[in-house]
Formats: sequence, structure tokens, C-alpha cells
Amino acid sequence: MSNAVEFHRVSRRFGAVTAVDDVSFSIAAGETVALLGPSGCGKTSILRVIAGFERPDHGTVSIGGRDVTALKPYERNVGLLFQHYALFPHMTVAENIAYGLRHRGADRREIPDRVEAMLALVRLQGFGSRRPHQLSGGQQQRVALARALATRPGLILLDEPLSALDAKLRQDLRAELKQVLAAVNSTAMVVTHDQEEAMSLGERVFLMQAGRIVQVGAPSDVYGRPGSRFAADFMGRTNWIEAQVTRRETGLARALSRSGLSLTVPDCPSDAIDICVRPENIILSAADDADQHGMANSAKGRILNVALLGSTRQILVEMAGGEQILVMQANRVGDGLGPGQAVTIGFPVDACITMPAGNPTGLAA
Amino acid sequence: MTAIPVQPPPIAIPAPPRTTLFLLAPGLLLLFAIFALPLFGLVLESLKQYVPGRVGSAVDAPLTLENYRELATPSFAGVLYETFKLSAAASLAGLLAAFPLAYCIVRRFSPRQRAVCIGLLVMLVLLSMLVRTYALELAFGSVGVARPLFLALGISPTSRWYTETLVAAGLLHAVVPMCTLTLLGTIQNIDPRFCDAAQSLGAPAWKAHLGITVPLALPGLVSAFLIAMTFSISAFVIPMVLGKGRVLFLSNTIYTRFSDVANYPSGAAVSIVMLVISLLVLSLVSLVQRRRGSRS
Repeated sequence: MSNAVEFHRVSRRFGAVTAVDDVSFSIAAGETVALLGPSGCGKTSILRVIAGFERPDHGTVSIGGRDVTALKPYERNVGLLFQHYALFPHMTVAENIAYGLRHRGADRREIPDRVEAMLALVRLQGFGSRRPHQLSGGQQQRVALARALATRPGLILLDEPLSALDAKLRQDLRAELKQVLAAVNSTAMVVTHDQEEAMSLGERVFLMQAGRIVQVGAPSDVYGRPGSRFAADFMGRTNWIEAQVTRRETGLARALSRSGLSLTVPDCPSDAIDICVRPENIILSAADDADQHGMANSAKGRILNVALLGSTRQILVEMAGGEQILVMQANRVGDGLGPGQAVTIGFPVDACITMPAGNPTGLAA
Repeated sequence: MTAIPVQPPPIAIPAPPRTTLFLLAPGLLLLFAIFALPLFGLVLESLKQYVPGRVGSAVDAPLTLENYRELATPSFAGVLYETFKLSAAASLAGLLAAFPLAYCIVRRFSPRQRAVCIGLLVMLVLLSMLVRTYALELAFGSVGVARPLFLALGISPTSRWYTETLVAAGLLHAVVPMCTLTLLGTIQNIDPRFCDAAQSLGAPAWKAHLGITVPLALPGLVSAFLIAMTFSISAFVIPMVLGKGRVLFLSNTIYTRFSDVANYPSGAAVSIVMLVISLLVLSLVSLVQRRRGSRS
């Protein structure tokens, strides 16, 4: 019931712009992959090439072992979920779901049962006779999902599936989407610019930049071991410390930052390095706290400001040498951290990711 | 704590303040003077007795329905039928031609090409009808450039069938740019992803358009048809030049009654009949559309 996807050296140009630049990848049958990248990086073009709306200039696309490069969209059984749902406004919910079944030649007598089953799958029983405009955004998206899955496509493509919904609803629907995708056991590709969506839905993340896939890996890998400054920045908030390696030991390096911080970090072949430290990996404590003694790296500073984000808070700390470091913490009660307070920050060696300086696409050590 | 009664904010429809009336007055007065009053005069004229030889009715002429009764003849019915047959044919054909054209301009063309096309269409609409119609006559008329070709094909350029077709073609060429311009907005407002969605669900492009684009464009198609139809019914120059007196439209009959035989009351009666029929067509089509609209 699920189809593997194979992209072999595919390119697609629009005039002078190369939207997809010699891209190859494969998705295993049943796997859910998130294609992540900033807007304009070519991820939508890849989706449209797989769906058949764009013909690649070079390369081949195969779905389920069959070369589909020359096939029209309606000749491939690929489910498509649109960002703004694209439900047919002049049809009822049931007619929308039945549309694909009618055109894919399903037995007419079986269509009503199949429609009911799909409505049940997305928990919308009894909504069949409504019109799309009578539903909320989340319900519309679920109808769109039911419509896309009704024909049992071996592959489903989801274009920014949750970005049109508000934040709370997005979380609920994300979990539901994951359940439904697992239930139908279909290969899926989620195209998104939202790293949270990509990490929570994808078993693997394909990170795209300027028409190319720059990193592939499990969400935790791409987040925890970014291959470039771009990858590190795109996957989440990051502190960058520019430093020079002063001494090397087995697998470790001593480095001195511009402002005079002395750090122990994983080794890197280059002497000029950029050190990436995620804000949530930094421990912050009162200036003379003994907790920091076990840390490989610690430094003193002063709080510049505290931003509350609900369950978490971001604390900007100015180090003695002038560097500003962002710290992310759970927003616990009663420690009264505020601007001006002297603090110590600390982080272990493995919280540091080092890469050669000034090379935005360079590989990590 | 006392409960505060929750009331919906009152929706006040303000009476038009003095300034609004003041601003509306010139327009309303003008409309009354140059539209309502003359039209009323026309209705009155159509009810007056005709005295042969006299230009216009006498001020004290008795009121009568004779002018309308006189229209219940096969020859007038023929004019009515001809007008509607050719108008409907031209409007439908115009719609069929305009829809793909409008679709192409909106969906396939670059913004620059689109601007050029829209400019051309607007120019076509504004260009003198007389000039365009004579150009058609010179090309396809009974003595036109295409005459040898028609003769070779065994078509007589003087046959009634040919003249009728020529008049319809004249209407068509005027109606196509109008319909296209009307449909541009309609098609612009249809999300192209509907069609993508339909295709991803297994419908070939033509079926997707038939099942999705066309029904969604229906309101626009109806208005385009109405515009084309009302234009065609009241066409004057096109049937006169291309029909050469053999194909008569209502307008031509009106003109003849007023100018050639100076039978003002009868001319007025024909005018009123045309007006009423046009209004009937308009309200009928929009009624059907509203029915459909309320169902969906």
C-alpha cells in the first residue's frame, strides 16, 4: 500500500532561476519525510514535480519502482494536501471525498461506504452533507486529508499542512495527522518552512537551501549535529561564538573566543572556528553557584533582559568580554531572575558544535 | 458582583443625513430629467392614436392599445424571432470563445502579456461599431474580398442563410471582447489549486475544468451572457450594415417607424416591447442563477 520515491538528479529551472538543482534522494516505502527549507528554496517545486504539475528539465522521478517522469498528475496516484485545503466550495464534504473515488474508477456502490470510513478516520462522522465554508479551518484540513487519502494513494504529499491554522490547533492537528498517516501506512512527504512541523512529523528531515538538499538525517541529528551555519540557524535559535584553537588534545580543542572566553570544545580541523551552542543546553545559575564546577565551560556575566514565552523563557546574558549569550530555560516559579543580576553560565563539551569559521556551508567536524 | 446583561451592540441604520441627500441630488435630478421623464413620454406616446401623415401624435390624441395590437402579426413576430435567435446564437458562441480566451489571459500569460491583451480588448470594445462593421462587410459581405472563396465553396453570399450568419458573426465579433473582459475577474478569483487538487484526485485536465472551473465560474458566465444578450438584442448598426434590410432586428424596426414612416406611436410601442422583453430575459436569467446560488 505504500510506494517508495526515487529522485534521480532532478533539475527544474524557471527562466534564470534554478528552483531544483540536481537533486537526488530516495524515500523508503512507508516512511514519512519532511522537506524543510526557507521560502523560495525550491521545496514546493520538488512537491510539484513529484505530483506531476511540473516536468523536470533533467533527471527522473520514480514512484513505487515505476518511472513516472512523463506521467500527467492524474495518471499517478499521489495524494495531495494543500496549504489552504483547496476543498471544492460548490460540493458537500462527502462529494469532495468522493471526487477522487469517482475519477479513479471506484465501484459506484462502494463509494458511500468508503466516504463514511474516511470521515470516521478523521473523526468527522455526520459532517458529510455540510459545505466546506460551514467548517472550521481544522475541520476543513481534516476533510482535505480524508479526500487525499480516500483513493488509497501509495504516496501522500502535504504542502505546509498546518501553517494556515492557529498555534494551539496546530499542535492538536499535528498529533492527529501523525496518527492518521501511521494508520493508513502511506509514504508521506511533508513540505514545510516550519522546523517544528518538520521535526515532529518527519522520521527524516531533508533540509533544503537554494535548490539543493544540504542535509539529510533524523530530526535529532539535523538539530543536534547541523552540517552548516545555515542548518544550525534554520533548525532553531543558536549562539555563535567565534574562536581560535589554541591547543589540541585527543578529540578536544582548547579555544579562545574573541572576547577572551576560554572554551573546551570538540576538535575541528580548522584553527579559526565557529562554535554553536543551543540556548537550551546552557545552564544558568547565580554568580557564585557551585553547580557550574562540573562544567567544561563556564563564564560570568550579567543578565541583560528576560523574555517570558509561557512555559519557557529566554534570558540574554552579557558576558564579561562583551559577548551576548542567549539562554533558554523552563519558566519555573520563584527564582526572581531579572536584568542586572550577576550570573554564571555553563555548558558541557558535547553541547558545542564546531565548524570552520566563515564557511556557511562547511561541514561539521 | 452584579451580572452585566450581554447585549449585542445595536445596529443602527442611520437616516441619510442632509449632506448625503445634497450629494445625491444632482445625480438623481439628472437621471429623472434625461432618463425617467423621456421614458415616461415614450410610454405615453405608445398609447396614443396614430394619424397617418402626421409626425408624432397630437397632444389631445385619444389613448389606445391599437399600437400594441398591431404588433401581433407574423411579420413582427418574425423580427422578434430573428432578433432573439441571432442574439442568443451570437451570445452563446461568444461565451464559448471568450471563456478559454479569458482563462488563457489570466492563467497562462505573463503580467506584461496580460496588460497588452486587456488593452487590446478594451480598444476593441471602444472602437467605433460602424467602422468595425463596415470592415466586416468589406471582407465577408456579398461583394467582399472573400466572395470568390465562397463561390468556390458553393456558398452563395447573397443567400438568406449567409446573410443571417454574417449578422450573427458581426454580433459575435462585438460580443467576444465584452465577454472576455467580464470573465477575467471571475477566473482570476478561482483558486488555481482547485484544478490541481482535482487532477491529483485522478481527473484529467478537461474533466477538472468541466467539473470545477466551469461551475465555479457560473455567476460570471451568466453575467457575461446577459451583457452579450442585451447588447445583441438592441444592436442596430450591425444588422443594418450586414443584414442590408433582409435581416431586420427590433432596433431597425424602431428606426423605420420613427424616421421613415414617422409613425411615432408605433415606434414607441416597439421600443417598449423591446425594453420589456430585455428586462424579462434579464430577470429570468438572474432568477435562475439565484435559485442555483441558494442551493449551493
